[in-house]
Parts: sequence; C-alpha cells; structure tokens
Amino acid sequence: MSNLKSGTTIETVVAIVQDLTQDWGLDYEKPIGAQTMLAADLQFASVDIIQLCVALEECHGRRFGFQDLLMKDGSYVGDLSLGHMSAFVDSKLNNVGSKL
Amino acid sequence: MTVRTLFIGMDGATFTVLNDLTNPAEGEPVMPFLARIFASGSRAKLRSTPNPLTPPAWVSLMTGRGPGHHGVFDFIRAEERGDEVFFTLYDSRDCRVETIWSIASRQGVRVAALNFPFTAPPQKDLNGFIVPGFIPWRHLRRNSHPENVYDRLKQIPNFNAQELAWDFEQEKQSGDELSDHDREAWVSYHLPREKQWFKVAEHLMREEAPELMAVLFDGVDKLQHQAWTFVDPAFQKGELSDFHKRMRELSLSYFRQLDGFIEKLVTAAGPDVQVFFASDHGFTASTEIVRINSFLAEKGYVHWKELPAGEAGQRRDNSYFAYMDWSKTTAYCRTPSCNGITIRVARKPGESGIAPSEYQAVRARLIRDLEEFKDPETGERIIAEIHKREDVFPGAAMTDAPDLQLVLRDFGFVSVKNKLPVVQKRDYPIGTHHPDGVFIGYGPGIESGKVLGRRHITDVSATLLYSLGLQVPSDFEGVVPPAMFTVGHKNAHPIVIGAPTNGKQGVQVDDAMDADEKQKIMDQLQMLGYME
Repeated sequence: MSNLKSGTTIETVVAIVQDLTQDWGLDYEKPIGAQTMLAADLQFASVDIIQLCVALEECHGRRFGFQDLLMKDGSYVGDLSLGHMSAFVDSKLNNVGSKL
Repeated sequence: MTVRTLFIGMDGATFTVLNDLTNPAEGEPVMPFLARIFASGSRAKLRSTPNPLTPPAWVSLMTGRGPGHHGVFDFIRAEERGDEVFFTLYDSRDCRVETIWSIASRQGVRVAALNFPFTAPPQKDLNGFIVPGFIPWRHLRRNSHPENVYDRLKQIPNFNAQELAWDFEQEKQSGDELSDHDREAWVSYHLPREKQWFKVAEHLMREEAPELMAVLFDGVDKLQHQAWTFVDPAFQKGELSDFHKRMRELSLSYFRQLDGFIEKLVTAAGPDVQVFFASDHGFTASTEIVRINSFLAEKGYVHWKELPAGEAGQRRDNSYFAYMDWSKTTAYCRTPSCNGITIRVARKPGESGIAPSEYQAVRARLIRDLEEFKDPETGERIIAEIHKREDVFPGAAMTDAPDLQLVLRDFGFVSVKNKLPVVQKRDYPIGTHHPDGVFIGYGPGIESGKVLGRRHITDVSATLLYSLGLQVPSDFEGVVPPAMFTVGHKNAHPIVIGAPTNGKQGVQVDDAMDADEKQKIMDQLQMLGYME
C-alpha cells in the first residue's frame, strides 16, 4: 500500500482518493478537490467510505474515529466533500474537536 | 527461489462431501486428483474454533492461537458503552498476535497469501505478496502487497477483479432462503470466482515461486450454504426432482473444476514440494431457525426497541444486528454469526446492565434457562452446548468474547430478529458450519494413505512453519502432528520449538476511539448491508 502523505491534509486526501478511484471507470471529468463530493461525484458507497477512512488511518499510522464525521444527530451523513474529510483529519491531528 | 510449501485452503470443506467425491459408491470420482492425494498422503479431521466461523477460525489457522489470544471472534466487533452498543468491522489491525505470514517473512522466507480473510490492510514490510480476501474489488489495489502487484495481476489474460473479489451484496444471501432460480445463480456465481483466484495463484507461483505459496478457495463454503442438499450424500437418495439433479450437476461441476485447479497447482509446484490442505470448519445441514433474542425476550433479558416508521423501520427489521432497548436489556445475542450471548454489565453505578456483583448469579440463571429451552415435541434441548467464555476462550482477549458460546442442536446459526415463533422449521435444509473441517498433507516426507486422529485448527500453522524448516514458536497453541510425517523425515528434520512470536505485526495505531464513535460505525454497517 503506497503512502500518499502530502504537504497538506487536503492534498493527502485528494491523492488517496485519486489512487483509490483510478480504475473505477468513473465518469467524472472535473478535477478532484476539496469541493468534490464522495457519493454524488465519485459514487462512493458505504464500504468505499470505510476503505477511505482505513487508507487515511494507515497513511497517518493512527485511528481517527471517523464516526464523528460520518454521523450527525444520530443519523448517517448522506454525503461528504473531501474538504470535510480533510478538516476532520486536521482536527484530529491537532487534537481538537471536530470542526463540523 | 522455489516453492517449498504449498498450502491450499478450502473454506468449509468437509470429508462428508470430499470422501464421496473422491471415492463414490458408484461411478467415477468427481475429484480424481484429490483421490490420489488421499491415497498418497495423510489426512485428519480438523477441529475448528469454538464458534466454527470464518473470522475466528481462519485467524486461528493463520496464527496458531485461539480467539482468546488473537481477539477476532466475528465479522463484527461490538463494545458496550453505557446505554449504547457500538459495532464495527474487524480488520487485520485487530488481530493481536503474529501471523505465519509475518513469522515466515521476518525469517527470510518469501510468502504469498491469496484470498485469506483479515489480511487487509496488509503488513507493510512483508517479504512477499498479499492479495486479501473479503475485500471489494474497488479496494483490492490499495490492500494488496506489494503496491505494484495489482497492476501486475491485471496483465494476466482475462483477469477480472470484479469476478475475483468479495461482493457484499452477493454474500449476504449465503444464509437466506432463496428461490430455486437464485440458488442456481448463487452456485454459478462462484465458478468464475475460483478460476480467477486460481489464475492469480498460478501466475505468482510461476513468476515468483515464493517459498510459502498459499491460496484460499472460499467457494466451497459459499456453495455449500445454499447447495448442501445437492452435495451431501445423505440427500441423494429416493426420488430426486429435475431441479435437484440439475443443481447437483452444477455443484459437482464446481468441485470438478476445483480438482483441476488443485492438480495444476500441485503439479506446477513440483514433486519436491510438501502440500497441505485445510478448511476452517466443516459443514452439515441446518433444519430450523432459532430466534434466540426472541427467546431471551420471553425470559425478560431482552427488551426490543420500537422500530422506526416507514422504510427505515423495514430496513432495520431486516438488520443483521440486534436492535433493542439497551437501557433495559441485560443479555442478548449481537449477531447471527456470533452464536453467543453477551451479558450487559454496568461499568459504573447508574449505567444500564446488571451490577458486577450479580454477574455469576445472572449467568447461572441464564444457563439454566437455556438448558430448559427444549423442543416441546421431543423434549430435546435446542441449545446442545453452552460454554462459559473462560472455558473456551482463555487468553488476553477473552473479555471481547460472548459470555456464553452456544452450539445449536443442528449446528445452525441463530437469528437475532424480533420474530416468532422462537423455533421454526426451515422450508428446506441449508448448509451450516460443522466444527470438523479437513486437514490433509501430501508430498515427500509425509506418510502415505494414513488417516490420523482429529487435529486442531491451530496445528496447521505449526505444520506449515515446520514444513518450511522453521521452528515452531513456543507460544503457539498448535503443534505439528508427528504422525503425519515419516520417521525418516522427522529424523532428518526434527521438530524444534523455538522463540515465541513477536506479538502483533503491522501498523501500530492509536486505538483509542471516542465513546460515541462506534455508533457511527454502526450506521456505516447499515449501509453495508450487514445491519439493515
């Protein structure tokens, strides 16, 4: 498993998502970035989100507890942008509460 | 480098079927090559883990340790947190002890492990190859090791990751009652899957020749869940319908194909290679549905949660997990696959669950209630065996195990749904896991035509290390079965017990999770289809 850790967290998230989806045959022509939505744009299913979480944890060598991000008021968040993912990882790396 | 040891896993394989396919009462054997292996090698029944289930059993086979040590008890891990129960999926990071892939690798032995569960995410410094099982095709690339191996595999003619990999939607059907059409489709689905794994194994063995070459064919298990009545010799008597005959022939074509794969792999490995086969458990027929949480509700341990209205409620009703009022529930079964009962113990005053001081009394009462759970017509106990966790899961991970491990009278898996009746006869028998799997050795230095006494699943890892010329770690529970090997071989290659394992391998992670994080994982699992 390649380590795609980059200069900033959002760059890392984008690199991992690009790596994950490279042979999915997606029909998404815009550049992948902070505004890209996992489900709406990249057709992520739940298992794909879990694997993205694992990939980010492996990249940083720690667990982040992504449940804080994926659930809101007891319900599953329907979709997330890469910016949301990045902000959450940053909040954990900085050991502060979720910024969402 | 040449292959020294070839290991072929056959998930769910049982001598009940293999004996018939290698030595039928009439006609030619369906698996003629395996028949030759039986005649020229040694074999034994292989006792699985206390809950004969893929996660604990394969991890025990890969670690030489029981679930009480390695800590993988089910597909799903749960934690009691006050008035909530949190669920998450196990992965390789949850295994607390070292695998044989790691043990061999760090001693300079190059390994290849194909399609084994709980090998993802892979160990980063492994000397060799991991292509994990139980991973959807879209994530095989990142979970395979080394990182370029997936692109190499894509160069294999007709390689198809979607055919090869785990499909959650398909696998959900394994324990369901399906229509005839869907059962036929289910069996057909697994034929090309196994061919893909065979081609990967053949390719890596030819191109890389790892000293330990291991591949798991898991279609045996999947097929038998839905096609048990077509492969078990006991069901081939009397008047058989056209559908039955068609399904039997389709099922036999799977085993015929598997025999061909085995022959090609063993032949390619060469005559100097020791070959071993094992399954994680056996198979038998389950004839009834046991709704264990409904039984516990009748006894006052379980209190159901009201289902939400509409579609959400319907999805919840179809959930894989228990869904109950945690503030009142004192003992329950978490998942069908766990076949266990967890007693909810309050960790501090004011939390739900029983007081710690009540634990022994509550557990004793629960055991009595389960012992009295009987078939009203015959008086036979529905729960044939009830094991306290300290008796069957000794080790540092024991507290993650169910408090009571159950064995149903037909070896079936329980239902956790809120439905009645508590016990219901199935429309047709389905395959379920039996504790006795298979263990077979073949090749130079292995006794010929010998049937050994029952071995334990942890013995497989010890045997594979021995075959590689490595010492067996002193903290292994498994041992090398001496009777499987010739005297000459043992004299030339003494069985040596060596240094203990290195503990957990792979990425060391900060495992601390926030108290309410797990609830969110639970919802992720709902989307996966495990939960709803």
